[in-house]
Amino acid sequence: MERLIEILEEIEDGVDYENCTTLIDEHYLDSLAIISLVAELEDEFDIVIPTVEIIPDNFNSAKAMWEMITRLQEEG
Amino acid sequence: MTYFGVAYLFMFLPLTLIAYSIVPQKHRWKVLLLASYAFFWSISKKLIVYVIGSTFLIHYIGIWLELLQNERNGILKEAEKEQKKKIRAEYLKKQRRVLTFGVLVNIGILLVVKYIGFIGGNVNSLLQTLKIPFKLQIPKILMPIGISFYTLQAVSYLVDIYHEKIKADKNIARLSLYLTFFPQIMEGPICRYSETAMQLWEGNKITYANLKSGLLRISYGMIKKMIIADRLNRFIGEIYRNYAKYDGGIMVAGMVLYTLQLYMDFSGTMDMVIGTSEIFGIKLPENFKQPFFSKNISEFWTRWHITLGAFFRDYIFYPLSLSEPLKKLTTNARKKIGKYYGPLIASAIALFCVWFCNGLWHGAAWTFIFFGMYHFVLILSGKIFEPAVLWISAKLHINREKAWYKGLQIIKTTLLVFVGELFFRATTVTSGFEMLGKMFTNFSLNSFKDGTILKLGMDVQDFIIIAIFTILVFVISIMHEKDISVREKISKKNIVIRWTIYYLIIFAILLFGAYGINYEAVQPMYANF
Repeated sequence: MERLIEILEEIEDGVDYENCTTLIDEHYLDSLAIISLVAELEDEFDIVIPTVEIIPDNFNSAKAMWEMITRLQEEG
Repeated sequence: MTYFGVAYLFMFLPLTLIAYSIVPQKHRWKVLLLASYAFFWSISKKLIVYVIGSTFLIHYIGIWLELLQNERNGILKEAEKEQKKKIRAEYLKKQRRVLTFGVLVNIGILLVVKYIGFIGGNVNSLLQTLKIPFKLQIPKILMPIGISFYTLQAVSYLVDIYHEKIKADKNIARLSLYLTFFPQIMEGPICRYSETAMQLWEGNKITYANLKSGLLRISYGMIKKMIIADRLNRFIGEIYRNYAKYDGGIMVAGMVLYTLQLYMDFSGTMDMVIGTSEIFGIKLPENFKQPFFSKNISEFWTRWHITLGAFFRDYIFYPLSLSEPLKKLTTNARKKIGKYYGPLIASAIALFCVWFCNGLWHGAAWTFIFFGMYHFVLILSGKIFEPAVLWISAKLHINREKAWYKGLQIIKTTLLVFVGELFFRATTVTSGFEMLGKMFTNFSLNSFKDGTILKLGMDVQDFIIIAIFTILVFVISIMHEKDISVREKISKKNIVIRWTIYYLIIFAILLFGAYGINYEAVQPMYANF
């Protein structure tokens, strides 16, 4: 989770990633930021994020992202 | 029949509401479906055959996709672990073929109906330029109303089944209602099946609260459309038609006021659409969220025609930028040019496709393609220069969170939007450039001083009325931006104040609405896209 927060801060600084639950809804992360984020997450956590996972529910908070990452890792 | 016409407001809508409320709940969807087909028929007549035919096709393709998924799941249950990957890949391929067929048929019809004249005309121009003595005969094809909106909803339905986000609807009547619901068929919003299909089917009761709230939203839309947008119509038409006759001052007025007209027309129609649906207890997605408070062009497009932007994002941008070849490109580019600019290359390719489609979706003309490319360049350059802007801001100790900085960003964005809309409305790209050029080479306020401005289809009274109601919309927008619901505030007032407001709204529309013999009937501007 800590590494995830670091990645998020590298992509878009100045957001309270620990507590924010509206990263997509409030446009803290736009679609270009999502592409960078997906590339970074796939690299870092050795997962493949399919298009179908790119929904606000999976990216609105760091917690939701972490849950998606863990799930994709388990699914292998 | 249009949403702001007498036939719709005083006949069609009330009759539908009455029929809807007197039939038992389980039959209400039939009233909505019948009304939707009647509405479509009233405008596009025999082209209703297109809607019926394509609904059957979409229904069949949806079920076909789901059958393949069920078949795959059945085989997977019995399969050995090492075989599963192969089976999944095999069925994905089959599904992709079915989806491609369904999408291509739908998009193909849209392309033929909407773009054949444009493509044929350009081919003929090219043949003429090359002095080839051959001319294509371009057939005149009638375009069913709302085909651009309808097609995108159909595509989203099929893609969502393919991605297993939703199940195929076995009930063709429900699918048909989702595709043709009368308040939204003409101008959207572009809804997803998961957002509206079940709501439309439920047959919710018409409550007093919904009726009151829906009517208020409709009346707000009427103020925007009938008092502001339609009043501007003749003035804007004259400037864009005969721009060569006027100076740069008039060009600026034409550019700014056209943007105002387009916003009031389209967002006003959305108020009408969403308000009407609210009466039936149906919540449609919002299409506007105070776009003129955006700090950059990317943000603007998350606040203006939201459902179109979301469609392109979810069904073109992400699938393209996360496709295997572009993912590989991103991985390689990140290693070579870094974590910021690396992913930007793949994004730029996807973004180009999005904005090309966005421009073309708006209409079969070079002005629309230019409009799309203009936004592509603005959004991409915004991203390219973002690190430099941040670096300069830090060096100059500029606090980007300060109100003055945000204010400057909003002004910059608004100016860029004005220019984009100028080309959007211009008769040709060349005339758009000529109009823009006049603002710099032939700028003068003489037309305002000598009264020319008042001879273009609007008098002083028109300008005053537009100014007053634009200020009203601006104040309401500020309240919405602060999450204050104006309708809720009104509903909490005592009965005297409440009804005074209702009467004021009715009288304002009756007195100041631009209708009658002095005004041209104005078709909703987005209905032709």
